[in-house]
Amino acid sequence: MSRHLPSICAGLVLLLMWQLAHLSFGLSGLPGPMAAFAALPELISDADALYDIGQSLQRMAAGYLLAAAFGISFGLLMGTSPLAERLLNPLIMMIYPIPKAALMPILMIWLGIGDMSKILVIFLGSSLPIIYHSWQGGRSVSQIVVWSAAAMGMNRAQRLFRIVLPAALPEIFIGLRTGLILALITMVVSEIVARSNGIGNLLFNSMDMALYDRMFAAIIIIAAMGYALDLIFEAIRRRFLRWSDQQDQIQVAVG
Amino acid sequence: MTIRSTRLHKGAILAAALASLVHAMPAQAEDIPTIRVGWTMPGEDSKYWMMKRPEKFEALGKTYNVEWVQFQGTAPMVQAMIAGALDCSTQGALSLANGHLQGGLNSYVVASHLGTAPDSFSPYWAVAEDSEVKTGADLKGKTVGINVLGSGLYGQLYLYLKAAGLDPQKDIKLVETGFPGSEDALRAARVDAAVMNQPFAAKAEAKGGIRKLFTINDVTPNSLQIFEVCRKDFVDENPELAANYVRDLTRGMDMALADRAESIKVASEVTKAPAEVLDGFYMKDGQDFERAPGAAVDFKVLQAMLDLYHDAGMIPAKLDAESFHHAQIAAPLN
Repeated sequence: MSRHLPSICAGLVLLLMWQLAHLSFGLSGLPGPMAAFAALPELISDADALYDIGQSLQRMAAGYLLAAAFGISFGLLMGTSPLAERLLNPLIMMIYPIPKAALMPILMIWLGIGDMSKILVIFLGSSLPIIYHSWQGGRSVSQIVVWSAAAMGMNRAQRLFRIVLPAALPEIFIGLRTGLILALITMVVSEIVARSNGIGNLLFNSMDMALYDRMFAAIIIIAAMGYALDLIFEAIRRRFLRWSDQQDQIQVAVG
Repeated sequence: MTIRSTRLHKGAILAAALASLVHAMPAQAEDIPTIRVGWTMPGEDSKYWMMKRPEKFEALGKTYNVEWVQFQGTAPMVQAMIAGALDCSTQGALSLANGHLQGGLNSYVVASHLGTAPDSFSPYWAVAEDSEVKTGADLKGKTVGINVLGSGLYGQLYLYLKAAGLDPQKDIKLVETGFPGSEDALRAARVDAAVMNQPFAAKAEAKGGIRKLFTINDVTPNSLQIFEVCRKDFVDENPELAANYVRDLTRGMDMALADRAESIKVASEVTKAPAEVLDGFYMKDGQDFERAPGAAVDFKVLQAMLDLYHDAGMIPAKLDAESFHHAQIAAPLN
């Protein structure tokens, strides 16, 4: 219980600030937390809403897993090859600041209005922090250790999988954690322009119909999803990094 | 027979069975063409009836299917139509014109969804109850909200300001608030006049403290707000399919107009807005937009709107509304 106390206190403070903002501003578009929570049971007992959430999560999983596979490979390549680093770093720095959601209309033209364009936006949105942290993780591995491994007869693949990857894992997990939250954000944003299903149905349709309590209930669901995903991620991270001397909690690096 | 050959034999039978199943299942779907249709909310009742009450339509699901894709506004639907990702979609007069002039989108206007008439609801600009703004001339130097910069509603605002002796480009500061944020922008005094549309207008009026400055009906008594458009190449290559779709739009609109209670139920299923909330304004005289019987399109009104946008400098060239009119495939079609 005492472990969760800070989280509970932070949640209560957030709710209090929300209630104060609701009472102070008196805006139609900002209902109180009670009204939003009251709309939750109806939303989560609706089969269509659950289907929408499931569809969004499927697209998010596809985009995120692709980003993880691509980002770690790409980042480690940059971290271990000075030539790749010099070639790809300017490219990454140019792509990083582009708002990925702004690409949605163009991707829609190239890939159509189905799942592909949305998965690609999620992939683009979440891959860059994974690349960056994998790159930094790869760079941080001591060259002396790598040379020693080579002197002991390890080939390139063995050095990558037995020396570089394990040593870079703590940094890679920071990128994966940041990427996970960005995947959740881009998942929602990817459904603004066009959608057949997804959590955008809950959020943007409620906004279009001035159902603000329902809209904020959908936001609560998204926040809860983010929290749950982060807890799952942290459990996986601990399992993989039991050996690490890192602290129990890692910091989210927002890039 | 060896174990290996038995397994191969069973595997071959299983593969053949699966292949025949896979082959048989889509055979039915392949026989029925699918129209890719973009839609938005609220107020497309004929489409909502087709989505939620497909059994009421003779052709839908039998001679053709519809793949429904929801969009946030009409502008991205124009892009999707230009890209060939949609066959038909909802558009407004301005998005139709811009799609044609800037994107080279050739299309037919095949049915209407919502319009305004002298006794119907029409979008309006509101000011605070105690505002010093009483006439158009009082807007000089003020901040005026609009749903989106480049919105079709700017045409009526432009004419209103001109009639009041103002220069629409220089004498006001136009800011984008969106319909959902319009009321709050007005109440928080971030804008001096805010544009109101349903369902936000009904909510704001119920709360009080605002008054109408002018409605778009004051400027143009009749207008087409949203209507159905199909790509020209799609209609020309599939005239029977397009005609079936327009026939169902006609039928959908007639069913919607004939049974308000059921239409509210249908709209509630689509929008998830409680029926009792919709009941306050939906398809209510003076509280909601005009729906034309049979989803008929008034091309004279469309022409007037295209002329207005040209006069206001919102489109670079004059357009002939009849160029968007297919001689046979246009609602009402029975």
